[in-house]
Amino acid sequence: MTSNKSRFPKPLSRRAVVRATALAGTAFGACLAAGRGPLGFVRDAWAEKAYPALGNYPIKGSTVKFGFTVPLTGAYTDEGNDEIKAYKLAVKHINEGGGILSTLKPLNLKGQGILGKKVDFVSGDNQTKPDAARENARRMIERDGIIMYSGCSSSAVAVALQYLAQEKGVIYMVGLSHSNDTTGKDRRRYGFREFFDAYMSGVALGPILAKEYGKDRRAFHLTADYTWGHTQYQSMKDATEKQGWKTVKNIMTPLGTKDFSQYLTAVLNSDADVVVLNHYGADMVNSLTQAVRFGMRDKQVNGKHMQIVVPLYSRLMAKGAGAKNIEGILGTVNWNEKLTDAGSKIFVKAFQDVYKEPPSQAAQTAYLQTILYANAVERAGTFYPPEVIKALEGFEYEGFGPGKSTYRASDHQVFKDIYVVRGKAPSKMANQFDLLEIVEQIPRKEVEYDSKLLGGDLGPYIPNKT
Amino acid sequence: MNAANLSLQLLTGLQIGAIYVMIALGLTLIFGTLGVANFAHGALFMIGAYLGYVVAEATNHWVAFIAVPPAVFLVGIVIERTLVRFFYNRPASDQILVTFGLALVLQELMRWIFGGTNLPYGTPPWATVPVDIGIGYYPPWRLVIVGVTAAAVLGLFLLLRYTRFGLVVRAGMRDPEMLGFLGIDVPKRFTLVFGLGALFAGIAGVIGGPITGVTPDIGMAVLVPSFLVVVIGGMGSLAGAVISGLILGEAVSLSVLIYPPSTQIIVYLIAAVVLLWRPRGLLGVKGVME
Repeated sequence: MTSNKSRFPKPLSRRAVVRATALAGTAFGACLAAGRGPLGFVRDAWAEKAYPALGNYPIKGSTVKFGFTVPLTGAYTDEGNDEIKAYKLAVKHINEGGGILSTLKPLNLKGQGILGKKVDFVSGDNQTKPDAARENARRMIERDGIIMYSGCSSSAVAVALQYLAQEKGVIYMVGLSHSNDTTGKDRRRYGFREFFDAYMSGVALGPILAKEYGKDRRAFHLTADYTWGHTQYQSMKDATEKQGWKTVKNIMTPLGTKDFSQYLTAVLNSDADVVVLNHYGADMVNSLTQAVRFGMRDKQVNGKHMQIVVPLYSRLMAKGAGAKNIEGILGTVNWNEKLTDAGSKIFVKAFQDVYKEPPSQAAQTAYLQTILYANAVERAGTFYPPEVIKALEGFEYEGFGPGKSTYRASDHQVFKDIYVVRGKAPSKMANQFDLLEIVEQIPRKEVEYDSKLLGGDLGPYIPNKT
Repeated sequence: MNAANLSLQLLTGLQIGAIYVMIALGLTLIFGTLGVANFAHGALFMIGAYLGYVVAEATNHWVAFIAVPPAVFLVGIVIERTLVRFFYNRPASDQILVTFGLALVLQELMRWIFGGTNLPYGTPPWATVPVDIGIGYYPPWRLVIVGVTAAAVLGLFLLLRYTRFGLVVRAGMRDPEMLGFLGIDVPKRFTLVFGLGALFAGIAGVIGGPITGVTPDIGMAVLVPSFLVVVIGGMGSLAGAVISGLILGEAVSLSVLIYPPSTQIIVYLIAAVVLLWRPRGLLGVKGVME
């Protein structure tokens, strides 16, 4: 038996009408008190209707979350630590103003968050491992509801995170990654890289190596065995062979190798007079220090003084290896804390004020990437990922680092001037951080290449749901 | 490839094997006597390296070299007294879990104190310039490693062969129950053996740290090859550990000459072949781990 009572609505009592009016009045008052009229709701409702839900868009609430996944364990720990410092600084500057917000052009950010929302962040350890990084970022996307993520240090991680980004419809601003594949064969619509790549390093370094060490050289490569090492070896091989060098041999070494003695002995046993260390982070610190102890800087081979080359350099590694070991050794960097443009100076000062030491290039790219994303959202007027992507594609900016930089639309790679550097002599160091000196600024047009050269396809703006 | 080149590569193999031997000796000593597969042994190596770095920075390498191994010996004693001894009569899986857990705790403790950054544990100044040894120039510190290992192996042999303590330990490796019947304080001997194993890990840490620098994960990095050394040599066999340590070191080094990518799998390949051929390892004794 069902009761008939519920079928008929209760007649509105006087009491109910009074209560409803009071509630509406309170709500209206609350809106006014919060500084936004009820029209605000209408506008938001309209904005969300304009774009369909995608990834973690639309954002609910008044804060927006970024995810930072960096290596806090593994071979690239130092770089990861420095990246996270930079991310915190970037979030602070987006929310409160300051930093390169005063120099970056064109700028839409006002130093009051993004589109009226404050920026918050979550961070995690990607262990320098692609699978751990993927898991880390996936959790940030699904549990924390991040709208953008950034970080890495290993290109294997960068590539894995890019594919995840494309899958999830969440934009990934690559941190320190130098493999050609990141914006080459593994380029993704949802991935963007500000850092330079191995191809550019090769093109920049080749002629200078030939000038300094001569055209008749025999090179032995030791290479980190993953996407970055592979592409850097290829790029260095091509660039040096173009100058007349011969490549004696290449040995792949696993990422995270501690003792390189068996490989270094093989170098000693060859007739190579140059050893190219395609290593980074702790790997490079170990391989370089050990190479020096094996006497590779004082050896005479083929009547020439043996040389060590570290194509991708960083101040953190230089510090780890020690000033004496890196003296005179050539390599390339994306950015250096001694640059004198206004943006770099402001960034270095802001970083130094908080952390008591100058930022590394890992920190610089992490910082800039976060600001560039925030700026693109403000420019697009929405967090809707495809619109943000369009705002970044082809974006030309200046005010941080040398001259004009461009985010190339066809592969999401930034092009700008890069630097060839050399390890400073300990006697010339101004302080403990003064480890590298700039040998030459390589103009953008010399390192630019056709985006078809490295192959790859960006994929669609709207991720395919499979 | 001439004779000098080959001997240089052989020397590198010897030096890689020496570190394996140093760690595997302690491991197999503890396993053979106490029956515990000590997964925290790599962590003891790591602690040795950290202590070595701290002491060497504060004073010099000689002080570190003298002071650190006894300190790690004490750490070993504390670990045995407060934790490991409660697990002697527990299943092997419990022992593995508790020592592995301890390794993780120690590793994260060091990360907490020192951070994850590679600490530049340098070699003494006299060891930074390669010396001419006839077949080419070689880093002196790596020669020191070979020398120290040889001395340690000899010392351990003499200790076990010619002292009363050694006699008891050897008897304990055969039949600990009978040892107790004979009125020997077995728990005390067990503690000392665990400490001795830790001492070897400490020596390895002091001499191995300057090669690679010091990070919290160096312990785990040496643990796997060292366990392979013990397994290949025969669980609980000291001579087996020395022989298989040197075989693996040479295999890692020489495989670079033949086919470099094989360097990473050669130790596992040897382990597989040896265990198929001799399931107890090269010098394994019947009844151990069975």
